Amino acid sequence: MSIEPFNRLVKLAARAFYDDYTTKGDNQQKIGRSDNRGMAVVILDALTRRQWVREEDLAKDLKIHTKQLRRTLRFFEEEKLVTRDHRKETAKGAKLYTAAVAATTEVHHGKEGDDKVKLHTHSYCCLDYAQIYDVVRYRLQRMRKKLRDESEGKNTIQEYVCPNCGRRYNALDALRLVSMEDEFFHCENCNGELVAESDKLSVPEGGDADDNARRRRREKIKDMLQKMDTQLKPLIEQLNLVKDIPIPEFGNLLAWEARASAAGRAGNGSNSNDPSKSSQGYGGVPLLYLGETKVEVAFSGVDGKEEDAKSVSAGVGLKVLPPWMIKQGMNLTEEQRGEVKQESKMDGSSSSGFSDDKKTVSEDDEKKSLQDEYARAYYAAILEQQAALEAANKQQEVLETSDLNGPYESSPQRQVGMKFKREDNEGDDDVDWEEAPLGGNETSESYRVHDLNEEAKATPEDEDDDIDWEEG
Amino acid sequence: MFFHIVLERNMQLHPRHFGRNLRDNLVSKLMKDVEGTCSGKHGFVVAITGIENVGKGLIRDGTGFVTFPVKYQCVVFRPFKGEILEAVVTMVNKMGFFAEAGPVQIFVSNHLIPDDMEFQSGDMPNYTTSDGSIKIQKDSEVRLKIIGTRVDATEIFCIGTIKDDFLGVINDPTA
Repeated sequence: MSIEPFNRLVKLAARAFYDDYTTKGDNQQKIGRSDNRGMAVVILDALTRRQWVREEDLAKDLKIHTKQLRRTLRFFEEEKLVTRDHRKETAKGAKLYTAAVAATTEVHHGKEGDDKVKLHTHSYCCLDYAQIYDVVRYRLQRMRKKLRDESEGKNTIQEYVCPNCGRRYNALDALRLVSMEDEFFHCENCNGELVAESDKLSVPEGGDADDNARRRRREKIKDMLQKMDTQLKPLIEQLNLVKDIPIPEFGNLLAWEARASAAGRAGNGSNSNDPSKSSQGYGGVPLLYLGETKVEVAFSGVDGKEEDAKSVSAGVGLKVLPPWMIKQGMNLTEEQRGEVKQESKMDGSSSSGFSDDKKTVSEDDEKKSLQDEYARAYYAAILEQQAALEAANKQQEVLETSDLNGPYESSPQRQVGMKFKREDNEGDDDVDWEEAPLGGNETSESYRVHDLNEEAKATPEDEDDDIDWEEG
Repeated sequence: MFFHIVLERNMQLHPRHFGRNLRDNLVSKLMKDVEGTCSGKHGFVVAITGIENVGKGLIRDGTGFVTFPVKYQCVVFRPFKGEILEAVVTMVNKMGFFAEAGPVQIFVSNHLIPDDMEFQSGDMPNYTTSDGSIKIQKDSEVRLKIIGTRVDATEIFCIGTIKDDFLGVINDPTA
């Protein structure tokens, strides 16, 4: 996927600028055997042959220490040549990555069936071609600018360094740095004397007032400029070639993995078992690129699971919406209103789920049933409040419920929502309605039509309530 | 460089100043507040030359102060990079010298002082050419070129050079 000119650009840049990079500190000896200058070039070259790669894998391939590799990669990250991604994943999840590289390697990591889910941080890295192009151009521009500034007699701003703490200052900070006691600038932290940074490229020939010295310096700088141009010519040419070509983009690690694993699966279906098993540890993969492989997407992340869920629910039908979810004017299917025809006992079925107990209400219109639902919910709420007050009425309730139970089992007007509280509810409802008649009282009216006629004689107050409900 | 521009400011006035002299009070308060200050955007306000417009006062809730939006004309001074100025030396140091050009301070580091001038410490530290013909010390006037400015919110500071042609001492106080 990476285009060849870009890889060549990376290789040229590596050899031009990073061939003396070493992971050893300044104090350590750089003897023949242990000198690892040029390591950077090797690593950059290896990255041109890979896309997103786990750092452990890269270290193994290159046969270098992980720590050295990390140090170098960190250096590259700061130089903006490489992007890194650090991800916490289980060993299982890490396998998905491996599957993504399945086309080129066949390494299968780790063990299956961890009991404890340990999240290790895995680091991945990838060359960032767009940034590399810009960074190389910027570097060249800065080099030329510096040389030109030096040769033009320096309208540059002086820099000062503190030898103690290494802090750098500008001439613009001079106001803050000037001290009263002596004639030097002092550091803000440690009060050490600041040292001016002298000409970096052309060594000043101390205090030489001759024009000759200045001319010599200018010539030295011109020489340097010329040498730079000739030595960097292939790199500059490559930059020009690459300028017009679209930059290879690998995208985010997740996106790349999704793409690569999809491509891999499309290529060889036999590998699909392992990676799909490991998808659990993976989390939400944005499967935006799976256009081609719809057929095989049995359980490849989110999309597959959604499909499964949908198929499951299709068999059961849409869920009955609980009364508190229903607002006025919602277009509810009959299923959702809980009006599908099914018979069941109300007593034993307190927690069996909404989809089971559904009875038709043929006569009722939508509004009534909505109000019924509302009433259910309201009564349930009131129930809590008035539970204490009902102690005296319990016997009455028992009688009523025993009356009510029979007709209910046969009546086709059961509402689903408050089944498990129905017994109490019915009893309480009688009492409640006396005290707080509601618009929703139609509920009771609708299904009590058959029953309350009988009861009306028994409890005369209900007649009043009947009247109220009608008005409501 | 000097500019003559119109600036706007919201002035708060205490009720005790209300009355016949309201406008005068407002103007004098404005002058006291603004002249001599520096903003990073416009530079140093040197002097107010006139009041263009005083808007309607708005009484603040809670306090009795009244806020007037005032538009005024003023002379401002703002140094720019590449500008050439005359300045007066205020302090000479081993690392260079400080000079003032009106309200702005400029620092010339020894690196940007011609190589033939050397620092001489003493009672009156100075920079002198090897033949002693040119001397830079306190209160000397120099012409310098600004090569960098540092603009904070309320402060401007500059770096200068005298290493180019036609720059350097203009007037020697000791001569």
